[in-house]
Amino acid sequence: MSDYTANRRQFLARAAALSAAGPFALGSGLAAPLQGSDYRALVCVFLYGGNDGNNMLVPMDVAGYAAYAKARGNAAAGGLALQASSLAPLDGLTLGLHGALAPLAELWNQGHLALQANVGTLLRPLSKAQFANGGSGVPGNLFSHSDQQAQWQQGGSGLQGSSGWGGRIADLQPASTVPAVISVSGNNVFMNGASSQGLAVSAGGNFAIKGFGANPARNPLYGLYTSLLQQPYANAEQRAAAAVLNQALRASEALNGALASAGSVAGLFSGQGSAIAQQLLTVAKLLEVRASLGVTRQIFFVSLGGFDTHNNQLAQQENLFGQLGPALRAFYDATQQLGLAKQVTTFTASDFARTLQPASGGGSDHAWGNHQLIMGGAVRRGLYGRMPELLLGGPDDVSDEGRWLPSTAVDQMSATLASWLGVGAADLPLLFPQLGNFATPTLGYFA
Amino acid sequence: MLPLTRRAICASLLTALMATAQAAGLDEGEARRFLAQASFGPTEASTQALMASGKAAWLQEQFAQPASDFVGIVAVDVNAKIGCPEGAPPGCKRDNYSLFPLQVQFFRNALGGPDQLRQRTALALSQILVVSGQQIRLPYAMANYERIFLGHAFGNFRDILREVTLSPAMGRFLNMANNDKPNPAKGIAPNENYARELLQLFSIGLWQLNPDGSQQLDARGLPLPSYDQEVVEGFAHVFTGWSYPPRPGGRDRFPNPPNFSGPMLAYAAHHDLGAKQLLLGLTLPAGQGAAADLEAALDNVFKHPNVGPFIGRQLIQQLVTANPSPAYVARVAAAFNGSSGALGGSARGDMKATLSAILLDPEASAPPQPQNFGKLREPILQLTYLFRALGGESDGVWLRGQAAALGQPIYSPPSVFNFFPPDYDLPDDPSLDGPAFGVFNASATFRLSGMFATALNGKGVPPDDKVAGSTGSKIDLTRWQALAADPAALVKEIRRVLFAGRMSSSLEQALLKAAQLAPASKPLERARAALFLAVMSPEYLVEH
Repeated sequence: MSDYTANRRQFLARAAALSAAGPFALGSGLAAPLQGSDYRALVCVFLYGGNDGNNMLVPMDVAGYAAYAKARGNAAAGGLALQASSLAPLDGLTLGLHGALAPLAELWNQGHLALQANVGTLLRPLSKAQFANGGSGVPGNLFSHSDQQAQWQQGGSGLQGSSGWGGRIADLQPASTVPAVISVSGNNVFMNGASSQGLAVSAGGNFAIKGFGANPARNPLYGLYTSLLQQPYANAEQRAAAAVLNQALRASEALNGALASAGSVAGLFSGQGSAIAQQLLTVAKLLEVRASLGVTRQIFFVSLGGFDTHNNQLAQQENLFGQLGPALRAFYDATQQLGLAKQVTTFTASDFARTLQPASGGGSDHAWGNHQLIMGGAVRRGLYGRMPELLLGGPDDVSDEGRWLPSTAVDQMSATLASWLGVGAADLPLLFPQLGNFATPTLGYFA
Repeated sequence: MLPLTRRAICASLLTALMATAQAAGLDEGEARRFLAQASFGPTEASTQALMASGKAAWLQEQFAQPASDFVGIVAVDVNAKIGCPEGAPPGCKRDNYSLFPLQVQFFRNALGGPDQLRQRTALALSQILVVSGQQIRLPYAMANYERIFLGHAFGNFRDILREVTLSPAMGRFLNMANNDKPNPAKGIAPNENYARELLQLFSIGLWQLNPDGSQQLDARGLPLPSYDQEVVEGFAHVFTGWSYPPRPGGRDRFPNPPNFSGPMLAYAAHHDLGAKQLLLGLTLPAGQGAAADLEAALDNVFKHPNVGPFIGRQLIQQLVTANPSPAYVARVAAAFNGSSGALGGSARGDMKATLSAILLDPEASAPPQPQNFGKLREPILQLTYLFRALGGESDGVWLRGQAAALGQPIYSPPSVFNFFPPDYDLPDDPSLDGPAFGVFNASATFRLSGMFATALNGKGVPPDDKVAGSTGSKIDLTRWQALAADPAALVKEIRRVLFAGRMSSSLEQALLKAAQLAPASKPLERARAALFLAVMSPEYLVEH
């Protein structure tokens, strides 16, 4: 289940009003199919609720840690500063990861992790003064869960309309029985394109319709049912229900048997009962049976909720990272075992960061620019972007509570990932209409 | 505000409609469709009663029904090791530290309770003003919270806002409990969680609205936000200084430990006394104190012109249709604003007037745009509709589990954003809303098929031997079996009972064929095939 299911239509009016801001009209056709013939997959790990990046990636140099600790406050007195000794150091950086993410620090040290600092929803580069003046350059509804989730998942801060960028990449590919975008955590904006609908499968359990016997294809009642679903429905909600059912039945025929046969990587996840581990195990199984699905470029969506840590944050985030770190690590190891480490790239995303200043109750409130992880064998280790100055009311703070003005746009990060998956440079602005507003449309995550 | 003349027309239209309904009675199909909107689904008895009384009298009767309550749920220590010590009976934790008993009773009450409209309204409100059992796991805490909606379903929305705000369950869920005034020495700010979601989700929403629910636009055609970060911080400061009531025999000081037995209490020394910037340009003066600040702030929210269209549209979506016309929203908002006075009072926020306006509106029974009318039934209603329509019986245990598997564990959504948002886009047509599609996908349809297959197996689900007094769940198919010798009669009865008398000819033909796949010597198989195909059809899944 998604924590906050974002809305695809929310920004249509805004988009229509601002279409002059981007060089491309809404609904433009996409030009070229994905480049390359090898298998590649992206895995989006959405951290619902707004992960506190300030405690995910923490300065370890003396001055940096002191500034951090001063603003975050002593944990014993309701503050949020992590102990320096609890952090997982990263070779070559004066930053450390949250201790519960130590399994990922190992991946950094092996060269398979990149860190994107202070990335957030942006329509164009923005200065603090421009933010203060407001107006159309500022993304809509900052600090609102549903809106910021939508903007992360749509790309272009929602200006291109209602679809998600994962789904829009699928629009580029020929239609397939099993959609190119598969969510293992329910419905979301990311998976639906302008012309394609992603598929939601659940972690565990079989993936087949019930009530028509063990072999529905041989049951005449099933024949009556599939004909019924092909009927034209004048009513929009009935038509949509029929479409979902049709997609489900088609995908089931292709997926159910294949999924049941997969599982060579299950052992890597043993002892991990968390939902995120089970979701990533399901993705690994889908990778294992990729040959039978008829698609060479896939995008997966998994999620972990509970990051809206308005109170008791230290314990809650530690618990969540304690699920996330080992699950991501097991997933990386699974791709390695499957011989796919260089062909699968996994990245985190989240609603927004959280205020550096603590809020009453040992938590923090909704903020903006945040840090993200990019993991995979194709990734070039590095810290991308610029860390904000951890100073309340400082040069990177658009408030007095530590809400970072992003120095990198979500679209730059997403475009880099899309480009790696095979979206041609000419098509990137069609996926991300505001991309041309940034001097470097893609970043250097990949060698 | 609607112009006076339009309001007068609305009111007289409503009166005329009600008079017609009462004088002429209702045909069975319309009665069944109304009961899909105003109850957990029509039964034979409720259909007959409504046909005899007419809609207005039925509403009046429902307004007078006392609430079905949750029984046998007692306050326990927040610590499960104290509430269920070593040697406690099996099930102690399930019954006292999970929502299990509440969820089971919800389904029992929904299937059999006489207060159908009160419960439907409470379910709707519980999905707008959300507290989730994922965080608040004590059933007594959540029972008290849900009683707010059961108790005020036919009261006033302002009272709902106050009780929700002071509810210790909400206080814990969105961190208003023990929210302290600013502490500059420690660098700690008031918690913004309740302040933000009260505005965004519980009352006015993100955008300034016209009375018909459409967004107000600026000169450039951009929607106008209803508030900014400064206002969120103003409300966050308002909501400082409240804590749980003291535990019996315990000390009473801010911060009190969790206790969900009564509303939160104000602690003056922990309330911020500065001036606070609120909505519509209102600044609360400094030094008012916690209670006065809170009442003034809730008045400020309640009087915002967005509340009628924002809450009204969502209630329409919950009860009647996912895509009400702007005119329908405007009529309901007018009733909420106190200008209708059809049934119920004429005070702003009157729930009887609002609900009457929703359920008696011409659009609810004769939509001008039938192609956009109706809604995919959410999982809870798929379950209750089926069991009520077919005379099924259930102790609630199996239904509780099925609702959860289908993506709607009652009272326990993933977050304050509910199981699905009211503006979730209809797949393939983002110009329309399809809220329940938020939990409708491939995996969910497979589980739905499993639920229907089991519910219609003719044997039922046996009692759960881990639940005291469990009687299982069963839909008796005997009478359907008896009809199966005559497939046409079987299909006709399915059309009457499950489709409120309306069915496409393609569905009718498919059901006739389904009913004859098995030989006449196997009537149960015939009945099951026809019923199963019927309930899996888009025409059934979507109420229209």
